[in-house]
Amino acid sequence: MVARLVKRVSAAALALSLPLGAHAAGFDWQKYKGQTLDVLVDNNPIGQVIANNVAAFEKLTGINVKVDIFTEQQMRQRLVTVLDSNSSQVDVFMTLPSREGQQFSGAGWYTDLAPMTKDASPDYDFAGLSPALLKAATFDGKLTSIPMNIEGPVLYYRTDIFKKCNLTVPASLSGMLDTAKALKKCNAATTPFVSRGLRDALAYTYSVFFHNMGGHYIENGKSGLCSPAGLSALSLYGDLQKHYGPLGVVNYSFYQISSLYRDGRAAMAFESSNELSDVMQGGARLNDTGIALLPPGPGGSHPTAIAWGLAMSPYSTHKGAAWYLIQWATSPAIQAKDEIAGIAAPRPAIAQDPQVKAWLAAAPVRQVWQNAVNQLANTGTSNVGYPITDNPESRQYIGEAVDKVIVGSDKPDAACAPADQSLNALIAKDKK
Amino acid sequence: MSLSASSRQRGAIALLSLPAVFFTALMVVFPVGYTIWLSFRSAPLGHATQFAGLANYAQLFHSGSFWNSIEVSLALYLLSLALQLIAGTYLALLLFHARRMPAILRSILISPFMVPPVVVGMMFLVILDPSLGAANWILSLFGLPPSAWLASPQWVIPTIALIDTWQWTPFVALIVLGGLQSLPPSVYEAAKIDGAPAHLVFWRITLPLLLPTLMTAAILRSVDLLRFFDIIYVTTQGGPLDASDTLNVLGFHIGFELFQFGYASALAVTLTAMVFGVVLSLNRLRKAVAW
Repeated sequence: MVARLVKRVSAAALALSLPLGAHAAGFDWQKYKGQTLDVLVDNNPIGQVIANNVAAFEKLTGINVKVDIFTEQQMRQRLVTVLDSNSSQVDVFMTLPSREGQQFSGAGWYTDLAPMTKDASPDYDFAGLSPALLKAATFDGKLTSIPMNIEGPVLYYRTDIFKKCNLTVPASLSGMLDTAKALKKCNAATTPFVSRGLRDALAYTYSVFFHNMGGHYIENGKSGLCSPAGLSALSLYGDLQKHYGPLGVVNYSFYQISSLYRDGRAAMAFESSNELSDVMQGGARLNDTGIALLPPGPGGSHPTAIAWGLAMSPYSTHKGAAWYLIQWATSPAIQAKDEIAGIAAPRPAIAQDPQVKAWLAAAPVRQVWQNAVNQLANTGTSNVGYPITDNPESRQYIGEAVDKVIVGSDKPDAACAPADQSLNALIAKDKK
Repeated sequence: MSLSASSRQRGAIALLSLPAVFFTALMVVFPVGYTIWLSFRSAPLGHATQFAGLANYAQLFHSGSFWNSIEVSLALYLLSLALQLIAGTYLALLLFHARRMPAILRSILISPFMVPPVVVGMMFLVILDPSLGAANWILSLFGLPPSAWLASPQWVIPTIALIDTWQWTPFVALIVLGGLQSLPPSVYEAAKIDGAPAHLVFWRITLPLLLPTLMTAAILRSVDLLRFFDIIYVTTQGGPLDASDTLNVLGFHIGFELFQFGYASALAVTLTAMVFGVVLSLNRLRKAVAW
C-alpha cells in the first residue's frame, strides 16, 4: 500500500512538473536559482498540497523552499509576530482576505501583486482566476493575494433519510424548521441539523442565513445585526441549533460537524464545501449524500464564497523568487491537483481538465458538489462578519449573540442588543 | 591591608558568576519590563507604538469581559483549590496508612500530574463529548439524561475544575504525604494513651499540624490556577459564550487573535499583580499557622 502511495505521489509530482517545464521556453523558471524562500502555510488541505508538492517546484526552479506548516491560529500568531517586527523571516504566506485582508492591508503587510502578474509563465492564465475572488483580495487598489481555492458553506444532506421520510430540501429558508422537525419525528436516532456553534467560528455559516433573510451587516453606517431581518435570522439559526442540533453544539466547529455527519449521526450539515474530503473519508457517505446551497430567503440567495490566498511579505528580500512560488502554487496544474483533493479551484476552467473530469465522474456526489461550488462562484459574496478593519472582533460579537439564543439564555432581541452596541463602536472606530 | 584568601575566593566566585546572573536577570526582567512598557502604549498593527497613558487600564476596568473573566477565574480557582486540597489530603492519608499498597498502585495513583495538560484536555474532550463520549454513556446506564458538560454555560466551570482536580490531586497528595511523614509521633502516642477516637485525632491533631503543609500546597496550586489556560484552550477556548473565559484565556484572545497588544499587556500585568497579591497573602497566612 505504501509502495502504491509512493508511486502515486511520484506520478503526481512528475505530472505537475512536466507541463510547466515543457513550456519553459519563453519563461525562465531558473531565473532565481539558488535562492531560499521561507513559506508559512495553514495545516489545511490547501496548505498540505503545497507542502507535499514543493519538491517539484524546487526541481523546476532551483529555488530552495522551507515550508512551515501550522494550525490556522498558530500560523496567524507567528505571522503577526514576524510582520510586526518588520522581519524578512517569512517570504510567502497563506491569508484569508475575508477575515484579515483589511486589517493586514492597513498595517502594510501585503506586497501589491498586480504588477507581478505581468511576469508570469504562459501556462499561468491569470485571466482564468475568478474575478470576484480577485476583487475580494484587492484592498486600497492593491492585489494582496492570489486565490488558492473557492469555498463556502453548503448543505450536506442524507438522501436516504430524506427519501425514507418523503422529504426534499426545502425550497425556501422558512422551510428549514419544518424539514428539521419532520426529520426529528421520522428518524429520531439522527440529529436533524448541525452547523457551527463555536462563538468565533459561526459567523462563517450564520452569515448566509443572515444575508438570505435580507440582512445587511452595515445599514446607513450603523450595525444591522438587530434589524428585523437580522432578528429573524438569529431566531431561525438559534432555533434550528437549539431544538434540532446536537447537544453541546455551542462548541462545534468544522471538525465536530464533519465527524458527526460522516459517522451518520446528522441528517443535514451546513458546513464548508472544503470539508468534502473529510466528510467522504472512509466512503460511508459517498452514495447517500446530496449537496445543495442554503435555500433562498426573503432577501434572496446570497451564499458565502471566500478563498484562501497566497500573499507576499513586504519585507521579503526574495520577491522575484516569492512571486515564482505564488504563480506555481496558484497555477492551473496545481489547482487541478487541489481539486482532486476536494479543494474547489478558483478557476472555472479546471472542471474541464481531463484528470479532474475523471475524478468528478468517479462518484456522483462529486459532480453534485462541483455544481454547488459553481453556484457559489457565480452568486457568492465574501461578507463573513463586518467589512471593517476589526472584522475578527466583529465575528466575536455575532457569535455571542447567536450563542445566547442557542443556549436559551436570551431571546433574539435581548441577545442582539449588546452585540449591536459593540458592533456600532467598532464601525465608528473604523471611520476614524 | 591585604585581603584574606577566603575573601579573594569569594570575590572571584562573585565575579565569575556575574555573566550568568546578568543573563538570567535579563531573561526574567526584560519580558516583564517590556510587557509593563507595552501596557502603557497603543500598538496598532504595522505601526510604531504610541504612549497611551492609562488608557489600556481604563479600557480594561470598563470592560464587561474583564470583570466576567475575574469572576470566572475566581470561581474556577476557589472550586479547584478546595477540591484538590480535600482530595489530596484524602489520597495522602490513604497512601500514608496503606503501607502494604503495591508500588505499582501507588505509581498509578500519583501518575496523572505527569501527563501533559494538553493531553489531559484532549482526553477529556473525547470522554465528555455530549454525543459520542463515554461520560454520557455511563449516565445512560443509570437512566440519567445526557449532560452537555463542557458545552453547558452552567456546568463548564465545575467540569473543568473536576478535570484539573483529576490531574493535580496527586501532586497535592505528595506534598501532604511529606507533611504527614514529618509529624511528631509523640503527639499521636499521647492521643492514643488518652483514648482519642480516630476522627478526633484527625480534626484536632493531624489537620492543625498539617496546615503549614496545606498552605504550601495551596500557594503552589494558586500560581497555576490563577493563570489557568491550557486545558481551557484545548477544550472550550473560553466558551460556551464566555463561561470559561479566564483572565489568561481572555488575554490570549485579545493579544493573539485580535492583536491588541497594548490592551493585552495591561491585562497580563493586572493578572500578574493578582497572582503576586494572592501568593503573598497565602504566604503570610502560612507563616501565621506555622508551628
